[in-house]
Formats: sequence, C-alpha cells, structure tokens
Amino acid sequence: MIDVKGLFKDFGALHVLRGVNLHVDEGEIISIIGPSGSGKSTLLRSINLLEKPTFGEIWVEDKLITPPDPYLHFDVIRASNTYRSMLAAGGKDEEIIREIKKKNLLKEKSRLLKKEGAQYYSLLKKITAEHFEDTYSVRRRVGMVFQHFNLFPHKTVMENMIYAPIKVNKLEKEQAIEKAKGLLQSVGMLEKQDVYPDTLSGGQKQRVAIARTLAMDPDIVLFDEPTSALDPEMVKEVLDVIQRLAGTGMTMLLVTHEMGFARKVSDRICFLDEGVLIEDAPPDVFFSTPKSDRAKAFLDKVL
Amino acid sequence: MQLDFSIILNWLPQFGSALLVTLETTVCSLLLGLLLSIPLSLCKISNVKPLQWFAALYTSIFRGVPLLVQVFMMYFGIPLVLPVKFTAFQAGTLVFAMNSAAYISESMRGGIKAIDRGQYEAAMALGVHYPSMMKDIILPQAIKSVLPSLVNEFISLLKNTTLIASIGLVDILRVGQLIQSRTYRAFEPFFAISVFYYVLVMGLSFLGKLLERWVNKSDRR
Repeated sequence: MIDVKGLFKDFGALHVLRGVNLHVDEGEIISIIGPSGSGKSTLLRSINLLEKPTFGEIWVEDKLITPPDPYLHFDVIRASNTYRSMLAAGGKDEEIIREIKKKNLLKEKSRLLKKEGAQYYSLLKKITAEHFEDTYSVRRRVGMVFQHFNLFPHKTVMENMIYAPIKVNKLEKEQAIEKAKGLLQSVGMLEKQDVYPDTLSGGQKQRVAIARTLAMDPDIVLFDEPTSALDPEMVKEVLDVIQRLAGTGMTMLLVTHEMGFARKVSDRICFLDEGVLIEDAPPDVFFSTPKSDRAKAFLDKVL
Repeated sequence: MQLDFSIILNWLPQFGSALLVTLETTVCSLLLGLLLSIPLSLCKISNVKPLQWFAALYTSIFRGVPLLVQVFMMYFGIPLVLPVKFTAFQAGTLVFAMNSAAYISESMRGGIKAIDRGQYEAAMALGVHYPSMMKDIILPQAIKSVLPSLVNEFISLLKNTTLIASIGLVDILRVGQLIQSRTYRAFEPFFAISVFYYVLVMGLSFLGKLLERWVNKSDRR
C-alpha cells in the first residue's frame, strides 16, 4: 500500500532522512519510534508530501506521489545502499552525499543518456508519469493527525468536521453533517458539535481532529505524535480512540513516544536513528531482542 | 466678539447632505480599499519575486507621496495623460481606497504571518487547494487579528476625506468654508465641524469594539 524507496530529505546542510526504504501493506499498523531528531516526523510528513523529499520515491497504492524522474527510479535504491555501506564504514556525511549525488548518480545519468539516448529517457518519463498522482489527490487519501491538533479555531466543531468533505470531496451538506455526527459520536464528542475548539480540552480537541481526518474517508491515517502535547490524564482517551480505529483494519502509521501503546497495537515497529531505518520488526521481537546497539540503548532509556 | 450658533442651524440642510458625501466617500473607499488590500497582501506573502516587488513598490509610492498630492494627481493630472475622466467623488474615492489598501495590506500581511503553520498544514493535509485555504481558513483568522488596525484605518480615512473639499466636492469641511466666506464667521462653523467629526469618530470606535467582540465569539471566555 505504501512503498518508500531510498528516501532522502535535507534541510539545508542537515541530512534528516538518509535512504529510508519502507513497505507497508494494507491494514498494517506501523509504529515509527526513535530518538528525537531521528527523522520520524519527517518520514511521516513525506508520505502526504507536507515535506517534499530531496531524493527518492514514495508510492501509495501503486501511484507515484513524488515527482517522476526515471533516473532516480532506477538508481536510488542502489545509491542508498552505497550510502549505507559507506556510513557503516565510518564515512563523513558530506563526503557520502557528494559521492552519491555527483559520482554515482550523475555519472549513471549521463551514461544512460549517452547509451540509450533522449528517446529512451522520454519513454521512461512517460511510463513513470502514468503512475504519477498529484499532491492534492494524495492528500485526500492519506489523512493526518497532528501533535497540536490544528483544528480551525474560527469554526465550530461541526464546521471543522464538514468543511473539507464539502469543499474537497464534494459531499452535500446534509450528507456531510450526517457523517460527521456518526464520527463525533464514535469519538464521544457529539454533544460538543456546536462549540468552538478553544473551549475544549486537549484530549477533546485531538478526538475531534481524529474524527475530522476520518470524515475524509482516508485509506491511510498518519499520526504524528498524537499524544505528545496532551496532559497525562488525557492521553488515554485519545489512545483509546486510536486503538478502536486500529481494530477497524485501517492502515496506520504512528509516530509515538508511547512505547507500551506501540507494542500493543502495532504489527511492526520501525526504529529510526539519524535518518536511517535501523530496525523493522514485529513488536515482540523488537522490544525483547533488539538487534542493534542503538535500539538497545534507546530502549534502555525509555522503558 | 459675540458667538452666534444659530448660523449652524440655518445651514443644517447643507450640513446634512455634506455629511452624506463624507460618509459615502469614507465607506466606499474603505470597502474598495479592503478589497484591494487582499490581493496586495497575498502578493506580499507570495513566493513569486515580481509580485513581491510590485506590492512593495505600490506600498512605498502610496506611503511616500502626500495624500493631497495624490488627490490632485488623480483628479487633475492623470486625465491629461490617460484617456480617463473622473468626477471629484470618483477621483477622491479611488485615491483613498488605493491608499488604505497600501496600509491595510501591510497589517494584513502581519496578520497572515502570525497564523500558525499548523493551520496551513491541517488544510493541506485535508486536500484543500490554495485559494480555498486562503479564503476560508487563513484570511478569516488574519482579518480577525487586524480588525483593531482596520478600525484605526477607518477613522483616519474618515478624517482624510476632508481633502476632497480641495477638488470641489461639498463635504462637511467645504460647507464650513462656505459659511466662513458668506458670514465672515469662522469659529462657529469650524467648531461645529470639529464636533461632527468627533462624534463620528467616537461612534466608529464604539462600532469597532462591538464588531471585535462579535468576531471574537470563538475565543474562550
């Protein structure tokens, strides 16, 4: 359902993601964990293109959502493998990046161009473009729940719920309200439908935000530290809602610091460190016998 | 010298229609200015350099040239070089509107910049396109935060409209000048005019407060 191939993301000189490969099947629940600054949120935000990848490909349900570049398509996995082996050998960031960008890939490009010619290039481009999906329709299918809820403060709870379904999914207003009522009911917020978000507690806001995301009928929901901004006593009400959603077979990616919860609901745990996906294992395996020293050190600190 | 306020009463009908002219000019300029300020502020926050340059140039011109000069330019100057003709009302309203647009867009830009990044991200994550996002999510919140400066702009606009007397439109100030030239009395008419403006401005401030309270109804009380 989601295929991340050789994903790189730079913020200026900062290399936040360095060749991440990740595959998610339909209905899977993946928790992405790791130290702060490891690129968890950036990885998640790349999947609905709130971050534009510097390099690499993301496929969502057989649609390419990153800009089509046939040469990247061919070379990026190899590049990221090269990169990782250099990293393992103790290479410096800048050196490695330069290596990949200049020597490896650009040479590869020019070699291909020389060998196969422009015709081949345009053919490849056409093929990848056929699979390409524009950013807006990707976002309609990939919902996102934010750390800081991001409800629209000038709209009531109900207006928050129905705005995008009417505007983007072209639902009739009555239909949208009907649907919103059902969703608000399911997160226990129906009686608050006419109030403004500022009068709600953090936990209530996040429950509304989850319902708002679901109102768009997403195929995938991304959770970006959904409980990190909450007071401790409100964490459970939000986790309960997420767990119930997990039970419905929704495909979910979750960036979280709630290790107990991640272990309970996830099908797989992805451990990210310094922009590299170090471990990808079922929760029981990961939490009991982590392979890498990094993961062991991290778990020692948080458990 | 004996003060005689009965003159004012004699000229009340003229004051009445002049008041209408003043209000009409103010309201029309404000609405038009507000309308112009939105695309202008969007230019200012845009990533497209030429749009930014245009908006910066526009603002600097209307800030840098005295208002009275702008009024004369629009009414006497422009029609000589361009195939346009303005009535005094049109010329005045246009200049005031373009002027307020420059000022309002400046505070609007601040208002837009002050909006949390998360609001954009939430709208984008819901698949909302840029124009709808600006119109429905960002601008309503930005306008709310610039409302106090909008009321200020309205007030200074109201007072600035006295400049249209200089191109021959009979507003309140012009009536005062007429009284002065007919009766050789200056204190009574200008005192009355001061009171008119003072009351108008106080009324506007009050309305502004009410408006602010109304749009802030979504805030926690």
